[in-house]
Amino acid sequence: MQRLVVIGAGPAGLTAAYEATRFGLDAVVLEKSDDVGGLARTADFKGFHFDMGGHRFFTKSGSVEKMWREVLGRKLLRRPRLSRIFYRGRFFQYPLRPGNALRGLGPWRAIAIVASWFKWQLFPYRTEDTFEQWVTNRFGRRLFRTFFQTYTEKVWGVPCSQLKAEWAAQRIKDLSLKTAVSNMFRRRRTTIKTLIEEFDYPVLGPGMMWKAVRDAIVDAGGTVELEREVLRIEHDGRVVSRIVTAHDGRPEEIEGTDFVSSMPITELVAKLDPPPPPGVLDAARALSYRDFLTVCLIVNRADLFPDNWIYVHDPRVKVGRIQNYRNWSPAMVPDPSKTGLGLEYFCTEGDALWRSTDEELVALAIREIAAIGLASAGDVAEGHVVRVPKAYPIYDSNYREHLDVLKTFLAEFANLQTIGRNGLHRYDNQDHAMLTAMLAVRNVALQEKNDVWGVNADPDYQEEVRLETALQRVFAKLDRFGFGVAVGAVAAAVLSLASLFPLIKGDPVMGHELALLAQYLPGYEASAIGMLRGLAYGLVGGFGVGWTFAVIRNAAALFSLAVIRRRVESRLLRRVFDYV
Amino acid sequence: MAQTRDDLDPALAVRILRLEAVVQGVAWGLVAGLLLFLATNVLVLKGGRIVGPHLSLLRQFFVGYQVTFVGSLIGFAYAFICGFAAGYLVSIVYNRVVRRRSNG
Repeated sequence: MQRLVVIGAGPAGLTAAYEATRFGLDAVVLEKSDDVGGLARTADFKGFHFDMGGHRFFTKSGSVEKMWREVLGRKLLRRPRLSRIFYRGRFFQYPLRPGNALRGLGPWRAIAIVASWFKWQLFPYRTEDTFEQWVTNRFGRRLFRTFFQTYTEKVWGVPCSQLKAEWAAQRIKDLSLKTAVSNMFRRRRTTIKTLIEEFDYPVLGPGMMWKAVRDAIVDAGGTVELEREVLRIEHDGRVVSRIVTAHDGRPEEIEGTDFVSSMPITELVAKLDPPPPPGVLDAARALSYRDFLTVCLIVNRADLFPDNWIYVHDPRVKVGRIQNYRNWSPAMVPDPSKTGLGLEYFCTEGDALWRSTDEELVALAIREIAAIGLASAGDVAEGHVVRVPKAYPIYDSNYREHLDVLKTFLAEFANLQTIGRNGLHRYDNQDHAMLTAMLAVRNVALQEKNDVWGVNADPDYQEEVRLETALQRVFAKLDRFGFGVAVGAVAAAVLSLASLFPLIKGDPVMGHELALLAQYLPGYEASAIGMLRGLAYGLVGGFGVGWTFAVIRNAAALFSLAVIRRRVESRLLRRVFDYV
Repeated sequence: MAQTRDDLDPALAVRILRLEAVVQGVAWGLVAGLLLFLATNVLVLKGGRIVGPHLSLLRQFFVGYQVTFVGSLIGFAYAFICGFAAGYLVSIVYNRVVRRRSNG
């Protein structure tokens, strides 16, 4: 019997095992931690539920949506979304609205922002290599510093002037020109509205989903083993034979016919036995991650603010985002007189924040929640810290090159596939991670040849391709020379035939009237010579008309394309933090 | 995002348009037909002792055409046919030139 061994019990790993049992395979999941859910787990502290990162259940994939509904049924709630930006004691609408931002900042700042915008419209950066340059050219330096710089730098830990434009292009897929223009022409879809205004969410957070999936796997005869750290993955260069895990401090061998890994690809490579060539190990070491920790606070107040989460741009505090879990689902909070908050701090494993003790972090969170005025220190009953390592794969300027080395090396294995955010080192959401798992299992169970690395989770992809093709036809260049020649040739043919017509007909009056064209075409007459002259006039004049028309038409198409792109990009940028 | 301000989109900017001959023919035909229809009826509405002496010269080529309302309908048909032929031929010639240039 085929036995699928899955490394990691996050959304990708559990989906893989769930799908495998549906295909009748024996599935075993190995999880390093003591809980399921991975990056989408829900922490439980004194009966309060805390979602690590806030996971909206939203997908364009029918298969993923089906699985969510199949597993959760009526426990999947439809929730309204409200998220605002908190800056200098005020809330600002999100997605950003320039009018609201200007009103909220006060008249002097508003004037300075408008003046800055004018300045950068007149004297923009000539190239847009960085996130800072790109935003500044669109919104001006002042608005960039107010609403974009601080939060982005908190999340990624590097100055916006060092964040490559490539990073944003990869992360903010919608900002690619073709998709943006496609969206402009596409019929407004309810899914887009849904993403902004409401989403689905399990009654007790995403952890509820993954616990239910674990139960379903076990009910179907599979196994989910917790606290099983992978020590090494034994192979012969082409086939993985077994995985050695740590179980109660003793090594234990797990055999399988097929292997799927959602663990960080860097760790996977490092645990291969025998080890890969040095170049592959170097490539793995060159990939990096951003981590975060959540300080969970139980607050003795029922209503603090109506948002699901707040983006904290205020540079005076370190906290980047504050989740109000009560507003995600009322059932996340067992006591209706209290609120569960999650203060998210973005950091890097091993830095000062990461190394702080839990007590220090809880004290920091209490100070900061009081400093920004959302709750007083006396309102906070208790605190708890959850660290989430390797939360975000970093797309630095060389990551693609390093990842390709790993991809090429791993492709040699006939029975090993990697899936999920960290398995593919791709900044995917939960639904994308699940889809990669589904495709990997189909490769095992049905011998399909799905390219998990190349998966595009968007079922609108084909539609987008068609739209792009159509757009390319609309905005494609009219060949100036070609159009000039074509119009010239047809004009020459018309003029010469018209000149011949009176001669053939033998009508001198008609010829005389046609000769009036000499007013515009000197030397033209309705005769054999005139026909030749008409031919020349038609060719030259027609070419000029056609060529000029093509130039003007191309300029108009490019201008309208630029206007459309600018408008759509600005609209998308107002909700940029959905992607950051 | 990764583009410079001057670099709109290579995929769009480099691609060369191909013309649909029938569509171009219909478009040119309609424009030509409507122009003649309107030009004729403007003169008809203006009236006068002699209506449209110059435009009526077209009857040399468009048999049956005259500067009257009925003539404008006949003129529309003639102009549509000629416009269609011109648009169709321009497209055919243009596509051939573009194909030859891209191959060579």
